[in-house]
Parts: sequence; C-alpha cells; structure tokens
Amino acid sequence: MVDKRQKIIGEDAPLFEHIWKTGKGFYITVSVLGALVLWGLYAYVTQYLNGLTVTGLSRQIFWGVYITNFVFFIGISHAGTFISAVLRVLKAEWRRPISRASELTTVFILLFGVGSVLIDLGRPDRMLYAIRYAHFRSPLLWDVCSITMYLTVSSICLYLALIPDVALLRDLGGKREWFYRILSFGWTGTERQHRRLEKAINFMSILVIPVMITVHTVVSFVFAMTIQPLWHSAIFGPYFVVGAIFSGVASVIVVMAVLRKVYHLEGYIKAVHFNNIGIFLMAMTLLWFYFTFAENITIVYGNEPVHMAIFWSKLTGRFAPLFWLHFVLCFVIPLPILALRRFRTIRGTVIASISIILGMWLERFVIIVPTLTKQRMPVEGAFYIPTWVEWSILAGCISLFMLFYTLFTKVFPIVSIWEIREGREKAVAMVSERVKSYLPEQDTVEAR
Amino acid sequence: MYDGKKIIPGLIIFVALVSFPLWHNVGSGKMNYVPKPKLPADKKECVEPKDYIRTHHKNLLQDWRESVVRKAGTIYVASNKKRYTMSLNRTCMNCHKDKAEFCDQCHNYMGVTNKCWDCHIYPKELKKE
Amino acid sequence: MEFDRRGFLKITGLTLLGLAAKPGWELFSKIEPVELEPGSETLAKKRWAMAVDLKKCWSQEGCRDCIDVCHRIHNVPDLGTLKEEIKWIWQDSYEKVFPEHELEYSEVNYRQKPVMLFCNHCDDPPCVRYCPTRATWKREDGIVMMDFHRCIGCRYCMAGCPYGSRSFNWRDPRPFIKKINLEFPTRTKGVVEKCNFCEERLSQNLLPACVEACKEKALVFGDLKDPESQVRKALQNRIVYQRQPELGTKPKVYYIL
Repeated sequence: MVDKRQKIIGEDAPLFEHIWKTGKGFYITVSVLGALVLWGLYAYVTQYLNGLTVTGLSRQIFWGVYITNFVFFIGISHAGTFISAVLRVLKAEWRRPISRASELTTVFILLFGVGSVLIDLGRPDRMLYAIRYAHFRSPLLWDVCSITMYLTVSSICLYLALIPDVALLRDLGGKREWFYRILSFGWTGTERQHRRLEKAINFMSILVIPVMITVHTVVSFVFAMTIQPLWHSAIFGPYFVVGAIFSGVASVIVVMAVLRKVYHLEGYIKAVHFNNIGIFLMAMTLLWFYFTFAENITIVYGNEPVHMAIFWSKLTGRFAPLFWLHFVLCFVIPLPILALRRFRTIRGTVIASISIILGMWLERFVIIVPTLTKQRMPVEGAFYIPTWVEWSILAGCISLFMLFYTLFTKVFPIVSIWEIREGREKAVAMVSERVKSYLPEQDTVEAR
Repeated sequence: MYDGKKIIPGLIIFVALVSFPLWHNVGSGKMNYVPKPKLPADKKECVEPKDYIRTHHKNLLQDWRESVVRKAGTIYVASNKKRYTMSLNRTCMNCHKDKAEFCDQCHNYMGVTNKCWDCHIYPKELKKE
Repeated sequence: MEFDRRGFLKITGLTLLGLAAKPGWELFSKIEPVELEPGSETLAKKRWAMAVDLKKCWSQEGCRDCIDVCHRIHNVPDLGTLKEEIKWIWQDSYEKVFPEHELEYSEVNYRQKPVMLFCNHCDDPPCVRYCPTRATWKREDGIVMMDFHRCIGCRYCMAGCPYGSRSFNWRDPRPFIKKINLEFPTRTKGVVEKCNFCEERLSQNLLPACVEACKEKALVFGDLKDPESQVRKALQNRIVYQRQPELGTKPKVYYIL
C-alpha cells in the first residue's frame, strides 16, 4: 500500500504536499481573505439597498472604479491563455510548471470581470434582461458573448489538463477518492488516451488564442465604438489586447512567486522560468510603450480642441498625478529591471510585476475617467472621488479571487504533475529530434 | 437496522418539525382562511370574466404594458367586444379603488410582491402620506 | 440499447404533439382578446421636431417656465447636487452649447445667454445603438423612447449621448419630488431617464408641456412632414443651428437665432 503510494508520488512530493499539509499560514490567510470578502459584501449590500448614490459617481462621470475593475480583471485573464496556450503552440518547454497556475488565474478572474459589470448595474435584479431582450447591435452584448465563450473554452482547457493529475490523486486512495474518481473521467493513462488528450488540448489551445484576442478587443469596443473624444480611436482594439497580456503576465509572475514561496516549489519553479517570462514581460513593456506613444502623438499632432482639452487634463491638469504615476509604474520602473540581466532575478521580476499591475489599473482608470470629465458638453466642477464602497468592493473582489485560488490548491495540485513527468521522460528526446530536423541531414554532408 | 433505536425516533421528530406548518394550520383552522378582497359596489364585471382575470391578470397587465409603452397602442378590445383604455391607474384602479382592501388581500396571503407601485402611484397611497 | 430510426421518429412525433398541446389549446379556447395598436405606418406619418427661437427666449431674463412645468408634470426629482441632479430640460450658456460659433468679434454679447437644452431625439441616435436590452429605441414618429421597465441601469446610453441629455437615478427619487403628479409614474433608483417630447400628451393630441408653458412662444413644436405645421413655418427662411451636426446624429431640435 505504502509502496504503491510512493510509486505514484515518486520524486515529486512537494507537488502533492500542499494538498495534504495545512499549516498555520493557510488558516490565517483564509481568515483574513474571508474577512475582506465579508466586508466587500457588506459594502455591496449598502449599495444594493441605497442605490449607486453611495459611490462617487455623478451625472457627469458615471463610469468609474467598477468599469475600471471590469477592464482590468478581463485584462488579467489573458495571462493564462498566453502562457498555457500560446507557449504550448510555440513548443516552449519552460511553460510546464506554470501552465496550470496561469490557466487557473484566467478562469477565476473572468468571474470577477463579469461580476464587476453586474455590480455596476443600476438594476442588478434585471441583469438577465441582457440575455432575454438581447440587442446584438450593442457592444455590451458582444462582450457577453465573447466573455462567455472565453470562460467556457478556458474552463475546458483547465479541466482537460487536470484529468491525468486527478487520476493520480484518485489512485492514491483516501477519503476523497470518490471525488477524484468522478472527475478523472475514466483516465487510465494508456498510450491511446494520451494521444487523444494531446489532440484535444492542442485543439482547445489553438481555439482559445483567437478567442482571447477577440475578448479584450470587444471590451475595448465598448469605449472605441462611442463618439466620445479620446475613446473613439481605432488603436483601442490592439492597445487593450497588448495591455491585457502585459498586466496578465505580470499577475502570473506574482502568483508564481507566491506559490513558490508558500508551497516550497523552488525545485520546480526556478530562476530560469522567471528569467524567460521576465524577458517576455520586457518585450510587452516596450510594446505597451509603443502603443501609448503612438496614440498620444497622434492626438497631439492633430491638435483638435475637444481632444486636447482632455489630453492636457491628463498630462498637466487634474489627472496629471495619476497619469504620470501610471507611466512610472508601467514603464520607468519595470524596464530597467527587466532589461538588465543583473536585475532580472526572481525578486526583481516580482517587483517589476507588482509595479505593472498597479500601473495598469491606473492606466484603465486614466483612460475611462478623464474623457467623462470633458466629454462633449461638460459640466463645471465635475469631479470623481471613489468612496469607501467602491474601494471595499475592489478589495472584496481581489480577496475572493485569492480565496478561490487558495481553496483550489487544497484540492488539486497547482503544478501540472503529468506535464512535468512528460517533460522529464520524453521532452528532452523530442526536443533533440526537433533540433536535428532543422539542421542538414548527416548523409548529405558525408556524400559531399 | 444498525443504530435503529436512535435513528427512527430522530427521523420521526425531524419529520414532525419539518411538517409543523401543515398540521398546525389544519388544526388551528387557519387552513380555512380565504382572502376576502373587497369588490367594487357599483361595477359588476371586470375587463375579462372573473376566472380568466383571476389567473391571468398578471399576464394581462404585462401585455398592456408592452403595448402602451413599446407599441403605442392604448385601446384594449376585450373578449366581450367592449373597449377599455390600457391603464393600471385609469382602468383597474378606477373601480378597485383601494389597493389595501382589494389587491393586497390576496397578494399578502399568497406572499406575492409586485413592483408596479415602485413607480406607479394611486391617489389613496398619497393621501395616507 | 436498441434504438432505431422508427423509434426515434415515434419519440419525436410524440414530443412535438406534447409541445403543441398548450398552444393548440389556447388557439381554440374561448377567450380571444384583441388589441388595437397604431401600426408603424400610422406613426411614421409624423416626424416630431422642436424649434427654439432664441431671441424670443432671451426677451425674458431668468425665465424657467418650461423647465419648471416639465419637471413638475413628469415627477422629476430635485436632488439639489451637481452629482445626482436629474434634468429633462436645462439651460447652459451659448458659448458652451455652440463652441464652434465664432463669437470673438460679434457685437452683442451672446456668450452668456442661456440656451434651452433637451434630448435631441436624433434621427440616428447613438444611445439607441448601445442599449443592451433595447430599453431605449427610436419610434417611427421620431421620438427616442425610454422603457423604464426594461432599463438595467448600465448607463451605456449616457456614454453614447454626445449631448449629455440623459440622467441617472442614483437613489430612490420619490422623497425628492416636491409635489407628485398622479397622472405620470415616478421612476425607481437605477434607471436612466430623459426628455420624451411629452409623448403621453402627444397621444392625446396635446402639445408638449414646455411648449404650452412658454409665455414668449419661443418653443415651437410640430410635425416636420406637414408643410403647414408651426415648426415648418418657424424654420422657413431662417438660418437654423443644431448642436454638433458634424457628429451625424441628425438632431431634431433646431435653434433659430
């Protein structure tokens, strides 16, 4: 019995231990997160009973923190797809230990993206009217469709990759065996099943990539399809997608670092992973800067009064502190850290990522609110200061996301065990075959 | 049955507690309560026959709402070929003047909450304020 | 498990029969109430529009008759703050309503004169495009309608309107209505509202309340399709302005200077 268990666990004990060993830290984390979630819930109930008057929103500036949260959370969801799907398609072997953690981020954070919009509604009791009386000419409906599709496809990707690991847990026996047995879907690990799974995962991975691009493009269309100054811009589609991948990958880095520290996964999530993902994040920083620069120089050069009024309010006016703070956080701090090998350590990458996450939330805010202060026919004196309700709900959403994540790690392994083992056993041979196929044949060289 | 001596009495007590509303209402006579909405003295018939209106007044009002608000139609031709204005206040409340004595009698009994009066107003409601 | 084509056809047939039972019963049941509604052709015969004669309006300084009567009969609450105010008609200074007009060298000081603003009931309304539930739509007679029963309060229409014509109920409006008009419902918290060209009065062949209340007869309302209507006569032989016509919304509120 013990032997069988030992055979299944093998040398990967850390990958299983976080499911069984629950330390003091876990209980403290869950209590703190739970308290924050309850506080956020209390804030929402206040809002539900009194109306949106408890927020800082006004007739002039009617979209604020909640819509920022919506765009921000949907943005972060792009990480998972990028790391698990895109890197799989590109055959980057270093994705193996981090693919499940990132896919999980995607699936869970999408719920809060949708939740943020529902929280923002004036009549949430009528939220299903958007489906019952759907008006497909509205970009919000395009959002509903694409986010639903993204959530479905990502969940399927997550589940498919989970099946072999669930089968391992089932084989280990114990109290939860019935649960794992149902979820493992009859997996026995035969060659045939592996091939089928491989095909299915590859198909879903390729499918989810255009869906991912569509989702944040459609979210940007909510703004870009209006005729408000500084929103009505063709650059919003790709700009938002780039910003999404940017903030998403930064979030995954933070998640990776936390999991590595808390669950002692140093053997699996190594410095080289942070290095590789850090290089990619640096490329995204530069790409994000390119889009920001292109957009702003177009505005400045055109010099249209309605646009320039908002532009100056961002650069030197009321929103200048937020604008320049976001620029420092998104570009000035991360770029040297990620570009220079000396600083691109685990700690450096994590610092850069935290800076990027905060900066990207501010970037969404700075896109949404200044246009509303100076949309055509502005009212003097309109200002927006978010209230405790809005901040509490933001804190509640983030806490609930972390809570779901933590509870997930108590039931399923957070590092994909079968992919690590596949990497150990087969990947080295597969990669060397591949590299050989790129180079000229041995016979040809000899014949000459 | 293993542990039968504990399970069966426990089960009986559980079923008794859960079905308390049923047998208490039958015993105390509350089951015989029938809501008595006060009917208007002068009018003898409603827009539709009593049985139809009783089951379908919610759908009727929703159809009226759809028609008045979204299709600009305000005349309703009833099954008896009479014409009525489609209006909660001007037609329905014109006869059933007191909401508390008519509508609420059955609605409170059945635990029905409707949101009509969140927006629509009828005179008696204001007089009470 | 044996399940052949015959069995499948049998089950499908029974299912369809079962599904058809209720509609079939209703089709042949005794009660068949019939509703009359004006068809789209009837409505489309009219095209409502408003003309604001600015000079007549300016002859009375500080006048708020149109605003007061509109807000009174439509139970528009007075919330008192810029943050939460709800307005169906309001006024703003000329230089802000028509920022494209070159006023630097004009003789009369038009800049601070008040201009009355409403929902423009555009021919190509952006707000209608963005509503996810079709709680706002353009009726065939030109009025951009609002269905308070269906609005979910997402405020996308407010983001779409380039004129700032729409207001949102941030809280329950009833405590803030001075004197409730029994003839018109109030709204609940969480829905968007705006001027509706008094469509409830138009259906009874009455003019909008603001038009009737204006003592100077500065507001002219009528049917653009009728060459003899007041509004057509007001627009003849005059130079007429609209708010931001370059946006392509084709507003139906005209300003005559």
